[in-house]
Amino acid sequence: MPITLVKEKYQSKVGQVIIGATPDQGGTRTKVIVAGGDSALPFLHFEGKVENRPVIAMEVTDIIPPWNDVIKEQFGDVLDNPIAWAKKCVEEYNADMIYLKLIGANPDGENRSPEDCARIVKEVLGAVGVPLVVVGCEDSDKDNEVMAAVAEAAAGENLLIGLAEQDNYKSITAAAMVHKHNVIARSPLDINICKQLNILISEMGLPLNRIVIDPMIGGLGYGIEYAYSIMERARLGALANDKMLSMPMICTVGYEANRAKEANALAEEFPGWGELQDRSILWETLTATALLQVGASILLMRNPAAVRLVQQNIADLMEANA
Amino acid sequence: MAQYQITFMPENRAIEIEAGTSLLKAASKAEIYIKSGCGGAGTCGACKVTVVSGEVETTGTGNLNPDQIAHGVRLACQSFVQGDLTVEVPPESRLQEHQVLMGDVKKGILQESTNDILDKYGHKPLANKIRVQLPEPTLTDNASDWARLSVELKRNLPYEKNIEIPLSVLRDLPEILRQANWDVSLTLTDLDDKYTITRIEPGNEQPPYGLAIDIGTTTVVVYLVNLKTGAIEDKQGTYNKQAKFGDDVISRIVYAVETPDSMQEIHQAVIDTINELTDKLLARQNLIQADLTAAVVAANTTMTQLFLGINPRYLRLEPYIPTVSLTPSVPARELGLHILPEALVHSYPSVASYVGGDIVSGALITDMANKEEVTLFIDIGTNGEIVLGNQDWLVSCACSAGPCFEGGGINFGMRAMSGAIERVEIDPETLDVNLTVVGRILPVGICGSGLVDCLAKMRKAGIIDRAGNFQLERSSYSARLRQTPDDKEFVLAWAHQAGGDKDIVITENDVKNLIRAKGAIYAGIRSLLQMVAMDIDLIDRIDIAGGFGNYLNVPDSVQIGLLPDLPAEKYEFIGNSSVKGACLALLSQKAWREAADLARKITYVELSIGTTFMDEFVSALFLPHTDLSLFPTVEG
Repeated sequence: MPITLVKEKYQSKVGQVIIGATPDQGGTRTKVIVAGGDSALPFLHFEGKVENRPVIAMEVTDIIPPWNDVIKEQFGDVLDNPIAWAKKCVEEYNADMIYLKLIGANPDGENRSPEDCARIVKEVLGAVGVPLVVVGCEDSDKDNEVMAAVAEAAAGENLLIGLAEQDNYKSITAAAMVHKHNVIARSPLDINICKQLNILISEMGLPLNRIVIDPMIGGLGYGIEYAYSIMERARLGALANDKMLSMPMICTVGYEANRAKEANALAEEFPGWGELQDRSILWETLTATALLQVGASILLMRNPAAVRLVQQNIADLMEANA
Repeated sequence: MAQYQITFMPENRAIEIEAGTSLLKAASKAEIYIKSGCGGAGTCGACKVTVVSGEVETTGTGNLNPDQIAHGVRLACQSFVQGDLTVEVPPESRLQEHQVLMGDVKKGILQESTNDILDKYGHKPLANKIRVQLPEPTLTDNASDWARLSVELKRNLPYEKNIEIPLSVLRDLPEILRQANWDVSLTLTDLDDKYTITRIEPGNEQPPYGLAIDIGTTTVVVYLVNLKTGAIEDKQGTYNKQAKFGDDVISRIVYAVETPDSMQEIHQAVIDTINELTDKLLARQNLIQADLTAAVVAANTTMTQLFLGINPRYLRLEPYIPTVSLTPSVPARELGLHILPEALVHSYPSVASYVGGDIVSGALITDMANKEEVTLFIDIGTNGEIVLGNQDWLVSCACSAGPCFEGGGINFGMRAMSGAIERVEIDPETLDVNLTVVGRILPVGICGSGLVDCLAKMRKAGIIDRAGNFQLERSSYSARLRQTPDDKEFVLAWAHQAGGDKDIVITENDVKNLIRAKGAIYAGIRSLLQMVAMDIDLIDRIDIAGGFGNYLNVPDSVQIGLLPDLPAEKYEFIGNSSVKGACLALLSQKAWREAADLARKITYVELSIGTTFMDEFVSALFLPHTDLSLFPTVEG
């Protein structure tokens, strides 16, 4: 009995965003990253084209991070030096991009000046050839200053900068427009606010192919299903030609997964949970792999061992199944 | 309990009050009504008063700033009498007496339709009057007074039914019969299976009257109806005195269930409101209470229960169950209304906790349940009820828009009355403003239709973005756009052009409130359509009811996404359909019977179940909507 393969026909596809610029494009990167472009549901190669494989950006901070030892031990002595740390991510762990978090700018912490932040960004740009994702310290007023300085200092590099949010999107959008960068539009697990923010940003004049959606995921066990279904809706919206949901999606996997007690508590404390070594890695890995199934284009990750597993998972998924 | 004297200024009205009483309650005892949007929870800040002398105990200062507190400003609901006091109540804290704009004909973009559906139902009022001449008793004709009257009545009445006489009327019977020389006029309540004699008077030709009463959450309207001719002789409207216990039905329910006393108090407040209006009507028309022989009330479920003095506690507790849907008709004396004590008071039946008799009344007026075409009936008011359907099916929901469109919760919001801004033009270049004011006098505030207009024009002029955020960078164009310590605001009228001493402004917070209100209405429409899996284009007619004065500007409403982007000819504005339905029931028994059927036919959709409404609501919190394809005629 012959079986006909059922194939969905979609009207449209996910938009493409180019991050980074090589010397002939006005930047200094050795390669650029293209995110998005799929014309089918994730990895359904038989239904449409999976244009670009999802990429992993590894997290680097400008202060020593308060992470657990399972992660820290893998980095050795580079955690107090963003330049060496970024190099290690690219050279040893094959990170596609560097995700630079300027936490040191926080007025309640180091209170690093915008110029100082811009200098760190320039130094990381000098140390590695991969494109950069740069975000501030989650203090919106300070971030507006910091990101303006960063955008100006790295003009031409076509960074992906964040964060534009519903109540604070203008300064960063303006900075990205003037200095030609891409913007992360972050909305709180709400497809409607996500769309509204994209409309507001694009009405300022930033082209749609310079916006990346951050749906503000929840980690495994802590609301990942909300993120999952919202990302699925966004992908279906993109395929149904909803231009304001057609941007590629970025997920803060490392941050969310490693907030969980399950990713940090020792086995002595919870014998039923097994060894932390495996658990910590898998908690971040599973958060990432689940979100790959609903169309994550850029995964922001921490744990090198988890990165390695997810790289393998992406490679497997990219094999044709037509 | 110690008693203290409290004097209210500027009236200089003094009353004795128990220690520990809140100033809010004390003011109400002195018949000075203070706004209290949150029902005395200390959160809305509407009940500001100034303590001129004496000491109060204060439990909360809400949104007062230290400067105000230093000057003796207190929240009346959070301040309690501890000694003799003098308190000043500023005008902005008062529930103003006001006229409700009712039916002066005016050219509007969407004018109130005048549909006379009485013809369809036939004129057969719930009470009527009949004059009979009885044969005098003699030694050979010695039947009792009542037997004599019944025999004569039966001869005069069109059909065979039992006739009953209440004891109170029977007591008057012997004297009146003899005083009037056996020529008497009888008022009869005519309900399905029997006649009841409610009044007996010496023979005259004066027609019987009835009251059609619309108890809104925010306003109460009473029509005086001549039951013989069917003419509306007079109208009166005012704020619902219950407003001092909270702006919305929920805060009033919360207030009512606090203590047994508060239930009585809130019940009495609405009775007093109606009586006040009734007394005005009687005085104006030279009538006495006994001339009012029937009353029909149309109100939402909460208002109906409070009007009848039925505890509303379970209306707001899951699963939201009203005490009664088909409310019994009760004699006026049980409620203390200022009409004939034996007259029956009928309340429109309700559908569910949040779709009540006012909506059944409105739906009856639209005649939607007898037509093949699909009608969408929307009451744009505090509760935002919507009914969708035709002769085959009817569904309804309530989307709680809040009191914005009736002027509540907006700094300079007011009802559609003299001095209300009802149209706004804004020059997109200079941001100059051109206003149209009800009554062509100096503006004192802005009403619902003005607010809808204002939002559309501010968006057009680029003063706000699609999310309602003020674009302060445009303030270099005009001094009208400014930042204050509290909020960002846009000046609609400078103080010297306004009837008060303050600039009339609309703030960013007002704009966000309006967007939430319009979002709730549109989300309700979309949710209801989704429940019946129906496309918006399949709606044949949209009937809008609500307190927008005489019209609502449909193009503006579409512009901001309050109403669906459908051809203007599908829209009809039917004004206060609730009170019209009450008039109809007064005049037609058939209509009254149909109301009960209609209430049973309407299916209530609970919006708090599932994700549909919340999803639709958030997507409607944008101008005009997150999905711009739903509004093809609205430019960016």
